Amino acid sequence: MTLPELYRARPRNLVVRGSLTAMLILIVGVWLSGAFLDPQAFTDQRQENIARFLNELRPYPLQSTTFDASVALTWAHSIMQEKGWDALRITIAISFAAITLTGIFGGLLALPAARNITRSEPFVINRTTRNRITDLIWSTVVGATRLLLIFLRAIPEYVWAFLLLALLGPTAWPAVLALALHNTGIFGKLAAEVIEDLPAGPLRSMTGMGASRLQVAAFTVLPLTLPRLLLFFFYRWETCVREATVLGMLGIVSLGFWIQDARARNFYDEMFFLILLGALIVLLGEVISTWARWYVRRAS
Amino acid sequence: MAGLAEATASSGKRRWILIAIAASGIWASVSLNLDPALLVPGEGGLAVLSEFFSYALSPATTYQSIVPEGTTPLAVQALLAAWHTVQFAAAAMGLSLIGGITLGFLSSYSLMIETRRGITRVIGGAVYSVARLTITLMRSIHELLWAVLFLAAFGISQLGAVIALALPCVGILAKIFSELIDETPRHAAHAAEAAGASPIQIYCFVLAPQALPNILAYSFYRFECALRSSAVLGFFGYPTLGFYIAASFENLYYGEVWVYLYTLFLLVAAVDLWSGAIRKRLALTR
Amino acid sequence: MSKGLQLENVSVSFETTRALEDVTLHLEQGEAVALVGLSGAGKTTLLHTCNAMVAPSAGRVLINGQDLSKLSASALKIARMNIGFIHQDLSLVPNLRVIQNVVSGRLGQRSLIGAARDLLFPADDVTERVYNILTSVGIAEKIYKRTDHLSGGQQQRVAIARALFQEPQFFLADEPISSVDPVRAESTIALLTTLCAERNITLLMSLHNLKLATTFFPRLVALRDGGIAFDKATDTVLPSELEAIFDLTESSPVSEEVSDFEDRLGGRFG
Repeated sequence: MTLPELYRARPRNLVVRGSLTAMLILIVGVWLSGAFLDPQAFTDQRQENIARFLNELRPYPLQSTTFDASVALTWAHSIMQEKGWDALRITIAISFAAITLTGIFGGLLALPAARNITRSEPFVINRTTRNRITDLIWSTVVGATRLLLIFLRAIPEYVWAFLLLALLGPTAWPAVLALALHNTGIFGKLAAEVIEDLPAGPLRSMTGMGASRLQVAAFTVLPLTLPRLLLFFFYRWETCVREATVLGMLGIVSLGFWIQDARARNFYDEMFFLILLGALIVLLGEVISTWARWYVRRAS
Repeated sequence: MAGLAEATASSGKRRWILIAIAASGIWASVSLNLDPALLVPGEGGLAVLSEFFSYALSPATTYQSIVPEGTTPLAVQALLAAWHTVQFAAAAMGLSLIGGITLGFLSSYSLMIETRRGITRVIGGAVYSVARLTITLMRSIHELLWAVLFLAAFGISQLGAVIALALPCVGILAKIFSELIDETPRHAAHAAEAAGASPIQIYCFVLAPQALPNILAYSFYRFECALRSSAVLGFFGYPTLGFYIAASFENLYYGEVWVYLYTLFLLVAAVDLWSGAIRKRLALTR
Repeated sequence: MSKGLQLENVSVSFETTRALEDVTLHLEQGEAVALVGLSGAGKTTLLHTCNAMVAPSAGRVLINGQDLSKLSASALKIARMNIGFIHQDLSLVPNLRVIQNVVSGRLGQRSLIGAARDLLFPADDVTERVYNILTSVGIAEKIYKRTDHLSGGQQQRVAIARALFQEPQFFLADEPISSVDPVRAESTIALLTTLCAERNITLLMSLHNLKLATTFFPRLVALRDGGIAFDKATDTVLPSELEAIFDLTESSPVSEEVSDFEDRLGGRFG
């Protein structure tokens, strides 16, 4: 073959190329359409507003004077006493409760979503009997579970919380359940993939000894998958902390509630302080989660 | 015997993790007063609940109230809202990619510090620290909080919303990009160095191409996340799906709510499957 | 100014271990020399001192009469472009096409934009040169294939093609056949020695396989515990001398540390 022929015959990945091109066209097209190029963004009026806004981000006792650390600290201390500590406690508690429920729901839903367990005669290489109807039932179970998981994770936490708050009333449950439902969709899918990747050997030998599906799940699948599941668990917890702060904006008294409240009262200094507090707790969550994942890796 | 002792120790460590998780879960439920009895609604609540879920199987086909002549049909309205959701997400993704790649460069240990010597190493280290700090700050503030900040600063502005969506995404992409490149195997880089290539050439033409499949795969996953966040922006008055979900729900038109929920589901699920297919194809063969 | 490659009383130590001790070696332009010895004897270290990836703690390395340690950063870059290095593991970018891997051999001679152009839209004459080089190593038809879709032997030839694309005066090869099956190994060595002879390239290659070393190289240099055990024309080497090199019982205990270090030099960087 000559060089040009070789060039024409070069292997190409059309799906990837097509997707990249489509994405590029979408992004460039959206920007060129002008919907997001706001001509009003830089008028004098706007700039004045922004300058005033930036000034109002400073703690109000300091807005007309020079900086004084003790005044700032007293100001911060009074906010923390009044709402900060309690909001932090609730935010963290919501994330803990939500991730615990996620672990339970996700772990349970992962089993019927894993094709290697949820089938007739699991782990058997040469199947002796073939029954179309039981096969169909089992694959329906897998399909339905997976569909449920996709639905759970496709709806954002915030939307779940909004709906549940109206349906269940103003307790902490809507926030906890909203986080748990969305994360169950993600955690369940990841856990199902881990289970499907398990080596068949240990599972097969358990079945060979006459263990039932659930016994295999409890005594073989769980111990084998636990380390990786814990890694995902802590990753998801990190995002739970992040989301728990903002769910408050719907009316549950986590950090977001007080941020929304400060905004409504135009106390921008307090709003900014609480947003930074939110950033701090997200960072703290990241540090703890990184440490926990390191610990899990070391232990396994 | 050593193997057994080690195995016992490691399962002992894991037991502590599980105990800690259980303890924190119990503390949380006590602290939040998560009484299961609170989940059982009163008579009125039960009626609302069953009405809401009964519409899951029969979502509305037309508006549930009388609308003036010439109003966009419900189905078209749902598609339009979906399109707006995609627009916000795509616009934010464009900014995030540009910002993420730029900051990813600047916060890469291998480019800014590892391959440098002398004074450029000091400068590189300073730039690296500033870039790290910036991306950490960007991603630790939730997109909705950025949106609240910008709403307070600019009022309602499409551009502000897009930037709010993009900022945390820039932080996350930059972090992941720099990590992916830093974790890339180094033999090819050393070979290029031995052939006289400069650090920036090695970074761009040896390390970055090796990390590219993972970078692309991750960006597609992020697009999925941007789509969800973009839908939620509707709750703040932007014309994405969240706006219509909130509006219909507050008017108690549950049939319409389910139409918008299913639209959001189909949109996210489609992107989920799409990005999954791409990730599978991009996987390196060895 | 003398042509060729010279090592004068070179010693290299890492922390407490000595990898090379007082090595003096001279290669004429166009000469082909095999470097033999146990792993941990210092072969990889020696090769890496020749292109200044490892700095000697004593002594000098001269390339065409230039002392490598006295060169400025840019002069060193030019000196390195003149040296093709073939690594133990292939050091290719797996998910790039063959042509892209080959053009990356001359990154050092190109600007940032020129390099980007070579990689994404190579000029016709560049493509043709790559094609000719791939023809000479026998895998021309693979030019547009993804590198990780090739077999181990074919990938080794890509690595050789990349080094040839530099148009170097010197070739350093560190166990270039360690990832290739025995039949391919022989043809790879044959190819390398022929290519170097044709182009008057100075070749220094470390080899485990004594049979290949004695078949294809007119001169053997044996290393033992970081020093030169002998340096002779191949046909004058006695069987007893070869045996002594590979006698494990007498090797010193430090060699394990050195071989660990050399494994890392050989490219297995985390």
